[in-house]
Amino acid sequence: MIAALRRTIADTLEHEGVTIGLAMLVAFLGYVALESLMLLGDDPQGALIQLGVVAAILLPLFVFPQGSPYIERLGPRLVPIVLVLYPVLVFRATWGDIFFYEVIISGLLAGVMYSLVALGFVLIFKSSGIFNFAQGILALFAALTLVGFQTGQIPFAHVWSWLFGIEAQSFDFGIPTALALVLTLAAMVGLAWVIVRVVLRQLVNQDPIILFMATIGLAFVLEGVGEMMWGANVKALDIGLPTGPSDTIIDATGMFVEKIEIAAAIVAIVLVVSLTLFSQYTKMGRALRAVADDHQAALSVGISLETIWWIVWSVAGLVALVAGVMWGAKLGVQFSLSLIALKALPVLMLGGFTSIPGAIVGGLIIGVGEKLFEVYVGPAIGGATENWFAYMLALLFLLFRPQGLFGEKIIERV
Amino acid sequence: MSHAPVAEAATTDADYAAQEEAHGITPRATGEVVMDIRNITLRFGGVIAIRGISFDIREGEIRAIIGPNGAGKSSMLNVINGFYHPQEGEIWFRGAKRGPMRPHQIAKQGIARTFQNIALFKGMTTLDNIMTGRLTKMHKNILWQALWKGPAEREEGEHREKVERIIDFLEIQSIRKTPVGRLPYGLQKRVELGRALAAEPSLLLLDEPMAGMNVEEKEDMCRFILDVNDEFGTTIALIEHDMGVVMDIADRVVVLDYGRKIGDGTPDEVRTNQAVIDAYLGVSHD
Repeated sequence: MIAALRRTIADTLEHEGVTIGLAMLVAFLGYVALESLMLLGDDPQGALIQLGVVAAILLPLFVFPQGSPYIERLGPRLVPIVLVLYPVLVFRATWGDIFFYEVIISGLLAGVMYSLVALGFVLIFKSSGIFNFAQGILALFAALTLVGFQTGQIPFAHVWSWLFGIEAQSFDFGIPTALALVLTLAAMVGLAWVIVRVVLRQLVNQDPIILFMATIGLAFVLEGVGEMMWGANVKALDIGLPTGPSDTIIDATGMFVEKIEIAAAIVAIVLVVSLTLFSQYTKMGRALRAVADDHQAALSVGISLETIWWIVWSVAGLVALVAGVMWGAKLGVQFSLSLIALKALPVLMLGGFTSIPGAIVGGLIIGVGEKLFEVYVGPAIGGATENWFAYMLALLFLLFRPQGLFGEKIIERV
Repeated sequence: MSHAPVAEAATTDADYAAQEEAHGITPRATGEVVMDIRNITLRFGGVIAIRGISFDIREGEIRAIIGPNGAGKSSMLNVINGFYHPQEGEIWFRGAKRGPMRPHQIAKQGIARTFQNIALFKGMTTLDNIMTGRLTKMHKNILWQALWKGPAEREEGEHREKVERIIDFLEIQSIRKTPVGRLPYGLQKRVELGRALAAEPSLLLLDEPMAGMNVEEKEDMCRFILDVNDEFGTTIALIEHDMGVVMDIADRVVVLDYGRKIGDGTPDEVRTNQAVIDAYLGVSHD
């Protein structure tokens, strides 16, 4: 298995993002296995089945430690067959079943939320070759800042009280939501500038893996600063998005759909369309792609790396703000929010690290697959499949299609 | 050998001209000095890559830099281009001393370059690659681009036209939409030249434009370089190993060895320079 992993890693070395993702996946598999073992006492049957699923997925790795031409030939055929056949079978079995549609739709909408996070990753990866570990923190930071502005919190209140004994926690006034959003965006742009000046500027022409390590450091720093600035307590975020189920949809179809998720879907669509247009059809977009390809060549045609990076990180900040708002409104603004970034990982593996539409489709597949699996397969294997299904799916994809659905194929010329 | 015709001693323009006249040479390029490189020394820690080198590049000429491996040719180009910052010496460009500048600022001044081991944007098409060369010429700001329609679109169109002319010129119409990563080596070199040309540079730096090419590709590339020089009047500084090619197309040649300048002058002068012959035949350095 180690050999197979090494081989996969070697194959995907060009795409550091994939390699890192793989390492994380392996760690996660270990976690799932451990969890199953702990479950053994309470629900032996479920735990065993869960372990069985892990084993079955890993089996090819054991059987063909050096990889196998059979897998490689079978893979591309198997994946579409499963992807088409399975939904068709499910669809037939559940024809006209409102509940089934409800599951699909809630899956799709959950997928949109994943995509929002994945989008931030793709933007930065595409345009600077950096796998930005700090994207989740960025979303959290944006949400925290927004709430802080809205409620008129004093930044670094704890620090002031420690230094000068000032006990005030907040100003007496809050800032109206619209203005707070603009201010938060400005803060994200400022943050992007600081990141570029302090971190990235020193790392021009370095290996992507070094830049990746820098973003890990950045994640910790941002987490610390965020906590110091706004406090570590869970906050409610209300920017006036509609909440609760949509009555219109219930009346019309009998399905239960959350309004906020529909709002998230609309925002995501607008965001993706404008970003795609921007990166494909403008001079700036071309410069972004150029920088992603080759720093030195980009410099030699007169592109300023710093400016480009600043723009990219600002846009990533904007996406983080949107993701942070959506997730924050749904779950409350808390530090576990930064962990949703982990869910973006399988989405990226499915969609490919370099494709904006890929991030969306990947998110939708994961969202729907997760919900369907949980509802229709979960009960048979002890439930809680939502924790690991996405990662399993991503691992399967790595075996057969390391570049993801829409990623650029890696061709090694010798 | 009483008087080897070496222009090395020339330090001023007047000197240079006098020497050239003394040797009965009337170089084709008689333009003004575009770039004057004075006493450049470049060190990497203890390694001295370039030791006090001075030479100049005149308007409209093809200036070759030659020398054995490790002579400091590419370092010299990187200094001109701003990738390296020399510890000592000055560079004068168009009559003004150049302060410490970043490569992208130098590119904006009208100095374009190609690389020894091709640095194209591999995922992008030929057309897009050459369009990046025009980035320094595009001025509509980011808001216009976000809207795209209107001025930004018109601008894109104008630049596209210029790029198409370059594509015609380099005879690469058939690969306009091909991602350059898939092209053979010789064509990639040509696309890279195209990208540099797209910036309409006043000084074009070519780092081994013919390395790794077969005879036919070399001939093509020679023709393109001469044509660029002829038709657009672009000043060209190039590094090349193929002596035949250099002697054929260059107006003046500067020869480096171990980071020192050992010869400077027309191809004929350089060919008969004893120090150059020694360096190329591998006579031991004491």
